[in-house]
Amino acid sequence: MPTTVMIVDDSLFMRKMLRDLVEEEGYEVVAEASDGEEAVARYRECRPDLTTMDIVMPNKTGIEALQEIIALDPAARVVMCSAIGQESLTVAANEAGAKAFILKPFNPELVARVLKEAAEG
Amino acid sequence: MDMSQYRNLFLSEAREYLKSINETVVALEQSPSDRAAIDALFRGAHSLKGMAASMEYGDIVEVAHSMEDLMIRVREDGLGFDAGVADLLLEGADLIEGLLNDVEQELAPRRPAGDFARRLAGYTPQQPRPEPQPTQAPPPVQAPAEAERAGEPSGEMSTVRVRTELLDHLINLTGELITNKHRLLNIGRDLGSPQLNEAVSETAKLLRALHDEVMRVRLMPFDAICDRFQRSVRSLAKRSGKELHFELAGRDIGLDRGILEQLTDPLNHILRNAVDHGMEGSAERVAAGKPAKGSVRLSVSRDRDRVLVTVADDGRGMDPQAMIAAAIRKKLITPEEAVLLSPRQALMLACIPGFSTAKEVTEVSGRGVGMDAVNASIQKLGGSLTIESEPGCGSRFTLVVPMTIAIIHALVVQCGRIKGAVPVTAVHRTVELRREQVETVGKRQLFQLDGEAIPLLSLNRVLGLPLGRFPGGIVPLFVTEAKGRRVGLVVDRLLGQHELFVKPLGRPLAKVRGLAGGATLGDGEIVTILDVADLL
Repeated sequence: MPTTVMIVDDSLFMRKMLRDLVEEEGYEVVAEASDGEEAVARYRECRPDLTTMDIVMPNKTGIEALQEIIALDPAARVVMCSAIGQESLTVAANEAGAKAFILKPFNPELVARVLKEAAEG
Repeated sequence: MDMSQYRNLFLSEAREYLKSINETVVALEQSPSDRAAIDALFRGAHSLKGMAASMEYGDIVEVAHSMEDLMIRVREDGLGFDAGVADLLLEGADLIEGLLNDVEQELAPRRPAGDFARRLAGYTPQQPRPEPQPTQAPPPVQAPAEAERAGEPSGEMSTVRVRTELLDHLINLTGELITNKHRLLNIGRDLGSPQLNEAVSETAKLLRALHDEVMRVRLMPFDAICDRFQRSVRSLAKRSGKELHFELAGRDIGLDRGILEQLTDPLNHILRNAVDHGMEGSAERVAAGKPAKGSVRLSVSRDRDRVLVTVADDGRGMDPQAMIAAAIRKKLITPEEAVLLSPRQALMLACIPGFSTAKEVTEVSGRGVGMDAVNASIQKLGGSLTIESEPGCGSRFTLVVPMTIAIIHALVVQCGRIKGAVPVTAVHRTVELRREQVETVGKRQLFQLDGEAIPLLSLNRVLGLPLGRFPGGIVPLFVTEAKGRRVGLVVDRLLGQHELFVKPLGRPLAKVRGLAGGATLGDGEIVTILDVADLL
């Protein structure tokens, strides 16, 4: 069975791009969410193996959503997506239980590697 | 990774972000401490930056990045959201819009951001930030970005994006089907076959449902063009040094996207007149016993299959007598004609070409620049414009336009051998006069309607056809509006109301004045859609 993935980003463009990337690597995208609140709700329903989580979003930031998801499922594998210049947020995300980081703009090879490690590790 | 496949999605989403940035900036000026709106602005700039970086559009990244940084200062470093910040953000949004257009047309970017980033980074407020007034907490403005995000379905399964040409194609096919339905109805009638009639009437029901659905798909909320109005009113008020409150109501009312596009310019025009000419300065307002801050309200509402768009202001209003005097001075009407004008008709003089070009008129009437163009474009849409005004109290411009296009209800008339159709939106009413009800004043003929003297014209004459004889002594006509005045157009026969699918005329017929398109009746006969305002 393929590894299931949920993609969280407030930008449709970003979600579409990431979905293509992730599907190219053989994962199955089972859910998308466009804000933090929706991410938590969708996680509860779908329990994906992997979640990619944008940080700057309306209705709960990615970090807040991450905290709630970890509280819900301490084994959740969440990879945070952040833009250059937001390195300071990585500390907070690490503390909240993020498994890894990918930087925007996405480098396809790097994304593939990070997701693979997060899925296996 | 081939990014070109994402270009269209990028463009459409980036424009959505720009629109919500524009709206949020304007809303924040009204309530500068609205935290949710400040956050939404930050997020908007941030998302734009991220998206543009993915597409490797460096210029857009640079502009969006500096906007994001400025918003971080507002969010975290206590920089007040003042007019200076608003100006810079709007300027940034314009820069990005230009860059997006370049991307769309596959041009090399021609609008280098110049020192924009530097100016944002170096921005300091000119005056100390005024203390917030806790007693007068502004109502929280719902950040448009927030609202839009919330309304956006999360999965891609529930929505698809389609090209607008496809929508045009769908409406075309539906229209052809409706024409064909009328043909089948006629055949059914000739054959007298109950089975066929039943099948056709069932098909007609299904077609009606299909037509409604196709029309619904084409509807866009009025909201889609609102940000432009907020922007233009804001900058006009600023430029003319006037203080005013701009209110928008009915943004969720849906209109056909084609109509919506063509409403933008006329509405901008009316709003510009309201701010530039209609609205007094604060001192003049206070002296007249009005609140210092003027108010302009743009509201949209729906009345069955028509949409009413109203621009109302509480400015100086228009004086019918001054309008009449100016029109006489400009030799647009004679003093004799002037006597016949009701106050309502006098206001509509603003729509006569040539009335409003003179500066003098603008000052006398307080309004009316370019109203002829506005009126013409509304009539082209099959709509109508009315002006109401009370000197000293303000004016109200109401546009009534059809909610959907392409399939219209039209009055079909016979003139000589020609069948013509006039959209019912352009028809005030139909009248059948007895000959003795026609009055002759000088060389002109007219009749009385609701206490107004309505001039009569022959549509046959306008079309260069032999004049009708009216053997029964009954003169059929319909009342319409031309150059701001009601006129009665006499025809040979009124053939009744029909549902028509309008098709544009190809070249060279499209160039002929007064022709708005063609349509086929159920019996295969071709009717010409007349643009009455253009004909007269």
